[in-house]
Amino acid sequence: MANTACFIIVGRNDIPIYEAEVGSAPKREDAAQLHQFILHAALDVVQDLAWTTSAMFLKSVDRFNDLVVSVYVTAGHILFNGIKSFFQEVHELYIKVLLNPLYLPGSRITSSHFDTKVRALARKYL
Amino acid sequence: MANYLAQFQTVKNSCDRVVAAVEDVSDLWPTVKGLFEEHQPLKRALLTNNRTRNPVLVHNLPVEFILTTDARLRSRSPQEQFLFWFREPYATLLLVTCEDLDEFKNILKPRLKLIVQNDEREWFIVFVSKAHPSNDQATKSFKKVYAKLEVDFSSKKRERCCKLDIHGPNANFWEDLELKITECIRNTLDRRVLFYEDEIRKLTEQRFMPIWNFCNFFILKESLAFIFEMAHLHEDALREYDELELCYLETVNMPGKQREFGGFDSEDDKATLLKPGSKPLTQIVQDDSFREFDFRQYLFACQSRLLFKLNRPSEVSSRGYSFVISFAKALTLHESVLPFCLREVWVINACLALLDATSSHNHDGVVAPDIEKEFYRLQGDLYSLARVKFMRLGYLIGYGTDIEKSPLNSACLSMLPWPKPAVWPSLPPDASSEVLEKEKTILQATSRTKHFGIQRKPLPLEPSVLLRVANRRRASLSTGNIPEIFDGRPGFTEGSGLEASPRAPPMSRTNSSPGNFESPLDRPMRLAEIFVAAEHALRLTISDHDLLKALSSTQDFEHKYLNLTKGAAENYHRSWWKRHGVVLDGEIAAVCFKHGKYDLAANSYEKVCALYAGERWQDLLAEVLPNLAECQKNLNDHAGYMSSCVRLLSLDKGLFSPKERQAFQIEVVNLAHSEMENPVPLDVSSLITFSGSTGPPLQLCDGDPGTLPVTVWSGFPDDITLDSLSLTLVATNNTDEGGQALKSSAATVLKPGRNTITFALPPQKPGSYVLGVVTGQIGRLRFRSHSFSKGRPADTDDFMSYEKPTRPILKVSKPRALVDLASAVSSALLINEAQWIGIIVHPINYSLKGAILHIDTGPGLKIEDSYGIEMERYVETDCDAGTSKAEVSVEDSPVSPKQDSEVLNLCDGKIVFSEWASNVSSIMWVPVRALSEKLARGSSSVTPLKQDILEGMRTVALKLEFGVHHNQIFERTVAAHFTDPFDVTTRVVNKCNDGTMVMQVMLHSLVKANLIVLDAWLDLQEGFVHGKRDGRPTSTFFPLVVSPGSRAAVVFSISLDKTMSSGKDLQLPESILNIKYEINGDRTAGAHKPVDADHSGSDSERRALVFKSAIVLQRPVLDPCLTVGFLPLPSDGLRVGKLITMQWRVERLKELKGSEAVEHDEVLYEVNANSENWMIAGRKRGHVSLSEEKGSRVVISILCVPLVAGYVRPPQLSLPNVEEENVRSNPPGPHLVCVLPPLLSSSYCVPVK
Repeated sequence: MANTACFIIVGRNDIPIYEAEVGSAPKREDAAQLHQFILHAALDVVQDLAWTTSAMFLKSVDRFNDLVVSVYVTAGHILFNGIKSFFQEVHELYIKVLLNPLYLPGSRITSSHFDTKVRALARKYL
Repeated sequence: MANYLAQFQTVKNSCDRVVAAVEDVSDLWPTVKGLFEEHQPLKRALLTNNRTRNPVLVHNLPVEFILTTDARLRSRSPQEQFLFWFREPYATLLLVTCEDLDEFKNILKPRLKLIVQNDEREWFIVFVSKAHPSNDQATKSFKKVYAKLEVDFSSKKRERCCKLDIHGPNANFWEDLELKITECIRNTLDRRVLFYEDEIRKLTEQRFMPIWNFCNFFILKESLAFIFEMAHLHEDALREYDELELCYLETVNMPGKQREFGGFDSEDDKATLLKPGSKPLTQIVQDDSFREFDFRQYLFACQSRLLFKLNRPSEVSSRGYSFVISFAKALTLHESVLPFCLREVWVINACLALLDATSSHNHDGVVAPDIEKEFYRLQGDLYSLARVKFMRLGYLIGYGTDIEKSPLNSACLSMLPWPKPAVWPSLPPDASSEVLEKEKTILQATSRTKHFGIQRKPLPLEPSVLLRVANRRRASLSTGNIPEIFDGRPGFTEGSGLEASPRAPPMSRTNSSPGNFESPLDRPMRLAEIFVAAEHALRLTISDHDLLKALSSTQDFEHKYLNLTKGAAENYHRSWWKRHGVVLDGEIAAVCFKHGKYDLAANSYEKVCALYAGERWQDLLAEVLPNLAECQKNLNDHAGYMSSCVRLLSLDKGLFSPKERQAFQIEVVNLAHSEMENPVPLDVSSLITFSGSTGPPLQLCDGDPGTLPVTVWSGFPDDITLDSLSLTLVATNNTDEGGQALKSSAATVLKPGRNTITFALPPQKPGSYVLGVVTGQIGRLRFRSHSFSKGRPADTDDFMSYEKPTRPILKVSKPRALVDLASAVSSALLINEAQWIGIIVHPINYSLKGAILHIDTGPGLKIEDSYGIEMERYVETDCDAGTSKAEVSVEDSPVSPKQDSEVLNLCDGKIVFSEWASNVSSIMWVPVRALSEKLARGSSSVTPLKQDILEGMRTVALKLEFGVHHNQIFERTVAAHFTDPFDVTTRVVNKCNDGTMVMQVMLHSLVKANLIVLDAWLDLQEGFVHGKRDGRPTSTFFPLVVSPGSRAAVVFSISLDKTMSSGKDLQLPESILNIKYEINGDRTAGAHKPVDADHSGSDSERRALVFKSAIVLQRPVLDPCLTVGFLPLPSDGLRVGKLITMQWRVERLKELKGSEAVEHDEVLYEVNANSENWMIAGRKRGHVSLSEEKGSRVVISILCVPLVAGYVRPPQLSLPNVEEENVRSNPPGPHLVCVLPPLLSSSYCVPVK
């Protein structure tokens, strides 16, 4: 199966604040929605797990047929769904966004710079 | 050893409890058997866990007592005993009795010694005393024997004897017995476990040798497990089974040894993972091992049985779930040889069996909440797993159209590979009618069109096109023309077939032509054929009736599908996995929806929508919300439907095409204008947002209306007409008072995006205001919006916008003076002349644009209408005017010079201000005339003038209406003082010998203007004539200029008229002084030239004014008859409050002649006194007798009390009946007396330090 990944940053109130479809697989129209659906459902698992462990990276919290959900929980309980070093780099990026005084924590990340960087990282690691 | 397998099974099945052997030495067993069995099972048995050597307390351990003489124990060969050691007795009871000590010594003791001598058995002696308690003798002897028995058989280490009194109380005995049996069992158990473990270890070490036989290992291991199980040491038993499973999995997949997997038996599809005895082990043995298919299920069944005994159903669930998953993988590996879809069927059955068993064993609330939560989660997982597999089966036999193409189903099915049988089932020969029927259903099935005309590619329910997969699998055996038929591409891989249309309907149609119907093997199967073939194959696979029935018809399929979905949803909800639960609710809703149960569907859909909306997963919400909307529409839930439409519109724009969005809007608008019974309230905060205009807030003065521009963002895709729109303002300082609603006039059309709407603002209370809420109406839809946008489009807003502190949009200042009206001149103006009265209008930072001034003159004042009112800019610099109080704001907008003065006309008492006067101070000159009928009166030294200030006072009431809507009103009454030009005082300065008197007339200017006296003359009263000439002063002195405030005097000579003319009527009662003058003054300072004089051309005659003043000339006392003398006052003076006697002496100077006096001997007197100054006691008026003779005198006394201190005029005595010229007074004129203040009363004095 070709490599495909859906990467979503979920805000504290379980609100998605950033979404990106990355990976090399040919685009499936419906895939994005299915991925979203799977990641949303995985939040059920994450909410159980997040408080039981202090680790940031929760590898393979949920499996859905061929899709594996990995989660990276930051200290502020922002979830990164999608692999560890990739997560760590994106976390750094996220912190940079967070430091931007014009960014309202919890709102959608609309920075195109952030988007470009994330996609570059995805190409590098995934 | 494997040969013993069958025997092992039988033995194992036949015994289920620990056995205790009874050696009935004294034939007592029939007597005591009942008692022994009554006390079964053992209440508390303390055994030892074999690994950790921890004591384990086992409750209710059943023990079976078997006589040693019993066939069950006797018939066994030693080898059998060794093999199935677990069934051998764990304890041996020696049941004895003896009454006689000798008998004991001689017979019983040797016999017992013999029994216990060579035996490894665990034994103990039960001595039965048959003595009746009443029989002391017998009791004693039994006691003696028992004591002896204890001595002989018990040791310090171990008590091996206990005594049972048949007839006595035995409370202690049974406890004792239980302890003893337990001890025996424990020891035996330890020994046997050690032995078995030793054996197992030996076998384990040989595990990788070729001779190794798993069956032997299994028998040993299971024996051990069985020993534990019998002893109720379930934990240990479970561990043995776990180890056994591990070992099996390790060996079964050893390379080189390809074994049969199993699963071909007729009922293998029924998962037997909870029924250990479903298939005898002998049937599944294969070579030296077991068939995986059956044996793994057997092991799991044993494990789950123990777990249920341990009361851990949740562990059964969790192990069960992973077992099902791993077993399904194993099935996948062998899929090519197994019956069609065995894997799917087995998984469904296994899940259902697990669910059934665990839920019946589970008791709510007995376990910790988190374990319970986990349990329900697993139940949910099992249900979903079964649900997915069931859907797959359903799809394979053509129920795909009944499965909702939801994200959940699609995610489950589209990523789940198809079953991969070696050959796809082929069509049975006689199935053509079924095929036709299926074909019909396929053609009839029309995918439901979504509401609002939403066009979406349906989500796939298949990982790749079934038609291809099935035919390819089939084709591998047949001629292989499939690739050409489908796409001409050889070797396409699974998963890449998604770009093709899902069912290739044209293909099916061409293939269904009757021409090539007869050779199904040579041509690809059609979809309907695939369905029918799969159905037939499944019927062969499935042995379970329920499942067969569930797949037999659409209704049954749906029923089962609903059951599974409901089960999953319910359990997920119980486990707090709300997302899973709610999503499954959505699936239930879809089914309800299909059957028209819209209320149920709407309920569930609402939950789903609330979840997605709450967490703002808009893509997912966009999928469900149209369904909810459709339900609501069908339910006639107008409010809900419109709300859903609005929510749809508020979603990200990219989620729906513009056309769809327009459809939403049309729905809202149509419904709003339809015949709804009641107005529907709706919150459109997500769609319509608003904000104030940027920049500083609008500033208004108290009472002023205004207009407020507000930016309203519309998220509607098209223009939308609002029937009304209103906005509330909320005062920031006053939260309890609801905001005031501002209404936008008439209908408003909102364009998509930004709109600026201007609201008329009625006067507001002082304070600052923020925007409250926007409400409005579209047809019968009443909408409200609470959200403030930051000036961005509505749909990108985030949840923070609600928390944002709002900026004041309007500030209304506290009431303050906005304008001031004042009189420009404070000094007096000329009375009875047309004079300019100046009114200063001074705006205080407020525009007077369009202001109207109402002028209303008070009594005695009239406006000279014939002249215009002059208005000019007022500059403070003319300080000589003395009106420095007026402040002019210098920074006011510059006014062009030509525009700062004009002449206005008064109409209806109103003046309208001009533009230029809006922001500058101005002065308004109003021509007025103060009217006074009264003739000015001069005063003399004898009759001083009483100045009455109020007499010359006139008022002008002013009312200024200003502000945008003339809402501001300022009222003020301005006073103006009018006066005569002169105050005239006369005095006789000299009396000449010839009777001529020189009379000085002093003119005191009362105005702030130069008065130019041009001429003066006297019109004399009766009794006076001019001294010389015409009575005018020397004309060369004129013109005489009198400066403001200065005095001038004119001297007249007059003389008494000796020839008293008889024509009294022609004479004036008093003299008139005429002064012809001109005035030269500035109107900004005070009195000035009359208005009409200015306008009356150059005729000097008419410019001169005439001032008339009456002068009283008093004839001197020419013929004194009487004299009145004021007698001196006492020397200690007058004091307030002190009584004093005023005395006047009246003396007759000559005899009265003439006829006018009637009462000659009486004089009428009258005392006049100012009542404010004096209190008079006695008669003020009366007659006193005075003889007619010359020189007669009388003193008139009046008792007075002075009331005020100071110089006051004393009371005066007058004689009203006597002509003035006949009375001489002393002192001649008015005079003053000094009144001292009252003496201080000592009682009021406070000593001062």
